[in-house]
Amino acid sequence: MTSAGGGTAVAAATGPATGSGHVPGQPDMWFFVVFESLIFTSYFCVYLFHRARHEGAFLQGQSHLVLWLGVLDTVVLLTSSWAVARCVQHARAGRHRPALRAAVLTAACGLAFLALKLVEWARLIHMGRTFTSSEFFQFYFFLTGIHLVHLLIGFVVLGVLVRRLSDRERPSQQAVETCATYWHTVDFFWVLIFALLYVVR
Amino acid sequence: MGTTFDRRLFVVWLVLVGITLAYVGLDHSLGGGTTLSASAAVTVGAIGLALVKVRIIMREFMEVRHAPPLLRRLTDLLVVVMAIAMIGAYAAGRTLG
Repeated sequence: MTSAGGGTAVAAATGPATGSGHVPGQPDMWFFVVFESLIFTSYFCVYLFHRARHEGAFLQGQSHLVLWLGVLDTVVLLTSSWAVARCVQHARAGRHRPALRAAVLTAACGLAFLALKLVEWARLIHMGRTFTSSEFFQFYFFLTGIHLVHLLIGFVVLGVLVRRLSDRERPSQQAVETCATYWHTVDFFWVLIFALLYVVR
Repeated sequence: MGTTFDRRLFVVWLVLVGITLAYVGLDHSLGGGTTLSASAAVTVGAIGLALVKVRIIMREFMEVRHAPPLLRRLTDLLVVVMAIAMIGAYAAGRTLG
């Protein structure tokens, strides 16, 4: 397996070196991505199984969600993912300032998502929909809660990313890519949670 | 320099947002959020579209398309496993009633 190691490697192109292939970030992070994806898939399977058996009750619970809020959450996180992908490209090309700006934009979108989620939780709790209200809301608060924990860890990861980008003496493209890979994983987990909680019937 | 590649990332973002908004169209065509009714087609369609988005995020944003064949195959396999598991669990639930 090849990796960018600790160098600035490919300065001219914004894409990684092609040919034999380039593993984005540390290979260990990919084990985490696969492992976490399988864990989340098991949660999703339990949810879908229960949902299919009690469709009426789940639809009734789901009707209290605002689809547009879920759409907004998704667009905000997709934008954060785009920003961190830009950050990786800038860092690879040795453009430190734009890379830092992209990392800050990623964190800003993450904070916007966090705020939206808290507003949505507050709205539902105010309406009397809590963890114990129904099976749907048990799954809703569990899935959005466990995702939020991953998002909060993501802020620590973004902190590491900013620190790495600020260190001009020893910039590590591999570290930048590892952080980005984690953030994208938080993004695609939400893409699945959004579809399962807000869209399925 | 690199402008075409930047445009590619932006187009990817547009496609992902487009698919997200397609869900809203789907919802409107079903009568909006007040009177929800169960639909296996919508459920399987929503899961399928979400997994398409996941694969796009992996290939483009996570740069898996430049990765060695092993990682490309592994991520594709992951998406297939997720699809089979989720649709299987949903089908099992419906069958058992």
